[in-house]
Amino acid sequence: MKYFGGCDVGSTYTKAVILDENGKIVADTTIRSKINSGESAQAAMEDVISKVSGLNGIEDLAYLIGTGYGRNKVPQAQENISEISCHAMGVHVTNPNVKAIIDIGGQDVKGISVDSDGTVKTFAMNDKCAAGTGRFFEAMARAFEMSIDEFSNLSLSAKNVIPITAQCTVFAESEVITLVGEGKPRDEIAAGIQQAVAKRCFVMAKKAGAKDSITLTGGCAKNAGLKKAIEHVLRIKVIELSTDPQLMGALGAAEYARQKGME
Amino acid sequence: MKDLKHLYYFENLLNDANNELVKQAQAEGGLAIGYTCFHMPEVLLNLGKCFSVRLRAPNMGSMEIATYYMSSGSCEYSRALLERAMEGNYKFLDAMAGIDVCEAMNRCMENMELLNIQGEDKKKFFWSNLDIPCSDDEDCVKHVVEQVSRKVLRPLHENYGVDISDSEIRKAVAEHNEVCRLITEIGNFRKLDNPTITGYEFHILTLATYVCPKYLIVDKLRETLEELKTREPDKKKNFRAKVVVVGSEIDDPELISLIEDSGALVVADRFCYGSFPGRQEIELNDDEDALTQVCRRYLRDTECPRQCAPHKVQYRYDRAEQLVKDFHADGIIYEQMKFCTYWSFERTLASHVLPEEYGIPALSIDRPYRSGMSGQLRTRIQAFVESLEIKKIKAKRAAKSQEVK
Repeated sequence: MKYFGGCDVGSTYTKAVILDENGKIVADTTIRSKINSGESAQAAMEDVISKVSGLNGIEDLAYLIGTGYGRNKVPQAQENISEISCHAMGVHVTNPNVKAIIDIGGQDVKGISVDSDGTVKTFAMNDKCAAGTGRFFEAMARAFEMSIDEFSNLSLSAKNVIPITAQCTVFAESEVITLVGEGKPRDEIAAGIQQAVAKRCFVMAKKAGAKDSITLTGGCAKNAGLKKAIEHVLRIKVIELSTDPQLMGALGAAEYARQKGME
Repeated sequence: MKDLKHLYYFENLLNDANNELVKQAQAEGGLAIGYTCFHMPEVLLNLGKCFSVRLRAPNMGSMEIATYYMSSGSCEYSRALLERAMEGNYKFLDAMAGIDVCEAMNRCMENMELLNIQGEDKKKFFWSNLDIPCSDDEDCVKHVVEQVSRKVLRPLHENYGVDISDSEIRKAVAEHNEVCRLITEIGNFRKLDNPTITGYEFHILTLATYVCPKYLIVDKLRETLEELKTREPDKKKNFRAKVVVVGSEIDDPELISLIEDSGALVVADRFCYGSFPGRQEIELNDDEDALTQVCRRYLRDTECPRQCAPHKVQYRYDRAEQLVKDFHADGIIYEQMKFCTYWSFERTLASHVLPEEYGIPALSIDRPYRSGMSGQLRTRIQAFVESLEIKKIKAKRAAKSQEVK
């Protein structure tokens, strides 16, 4: 049996997936990214390989593709592919009916339109600003003195939404601290934050040609409050994936590796 | 590929606005005339002992002081120039041929003038601010002739004694055309299936022709052209797709380098500081004065979206398509410097019109003045290259299945 690897070196997390010849996921891992992309990739690959009996090292993989911010730092990778192409392919092999994706990563937001074969039709990406990205949510959770998971669910109990006007991470954090200081309900402030990010996603979704449904990928896809806000703001259904949405980049890279390695 | 013999030399000339050739020309009695825009007919700043220097902002760091004067909503090119001006970077200039084409550059020039960036000792220094119309009919041509005559040629003559006669203009056009011919011939190597010059190398050469006295670089351009005639390309192609870059001001070779590092060879450069239309020859006849012909040519050939007449908009789309055909490109990258008012509109529209009406894939990007280190830009361009590759593969498959049928 041949095995194929995909390694997605993101700014916050590094993910790795190994597929067998049939495209079945045999192992995956997610680790916090280190300051050095090469070290992150090395650690993720060592971890994922240790989960597959019969694999002793990266060299045992038939084909390996790097993706993500540190895609060209994945050791022994045969090539690298942009995370935009990999997220499209990862979602396609998970659910071929999905045609539009919003990928919210640690430092950027992307809207991707997927073709019938899993390739990218069109895409849009935010600029340098970190507003509405994973970094933004980390700053907000910090302002509430909560973990990311706790913050993600906080808005679900809100009966009203307190709008947050600032999109800049720094100004938004300051605005949130002021609102908390004024004694406003925390869940309603959190709902305002989720709504602000959802509005930012609206632009990406439109650019990606989203019509009646969309799926979320990246670490922020696990944010239940955000999912609810996106469904409300975009007025479209958010399709949940059967595989961890944070793994879509690595899965797409592994699928490309499988296709190339099987040629 | 083997390195071009003079590439390092040309790269060094771009490290300082007041480079060694500018210093040499001034030491020989030359007059450095600064300008910023294609709409100022460059060739008219090269009469007699004058030579043109199109302003760039090498070694630019933070733009905080310029942002204070101009606001963060102004394009970064104009802010970068003002910042470097305040740091004394353009003190060497003998005149500044400014132009009233966009609000940001107007504010930049206005601030430079108010802050007296040329210093106190240049008594003959003058500023001009030409009014340029938004179309190209004969009334517009007459207007430009009047503006150039009164605001640039007359002060050059009165302040510095420059000969501004018809014969002197024709002489300047001949020198300009020689450089344009060389750049065009060098650029034509980009039409090859496996080009013998990269977009980065070509951009370096082209930039040098904008910022150096032409008579001091023409020999090395000639040598580079000869070198290219026998230069062997790498056997394995170093690119995955060919692109035309269309858009606003780019004087940063690192941006072209970033695009090429992402897999897209830049085969044609239709942007301010590019070779289209800035390095196209000027044809003159003997039936009409040279000044009018020069002004008409610059108004007619401008590809700035400031020219908003419908026929000019159409002209720009058609030109972009023509460049794709002539240089065998797979797609277009429409780029815009952040806050450039004209290109923000053009880029948005064209990046829909070209794919949908002309069938040419297009990527749309906006960027800061310096963007060579942008990881996000790299991702966008690589994804675009991948989509171009996939389109090619699909087209091949479709052709194959057609053959089988």
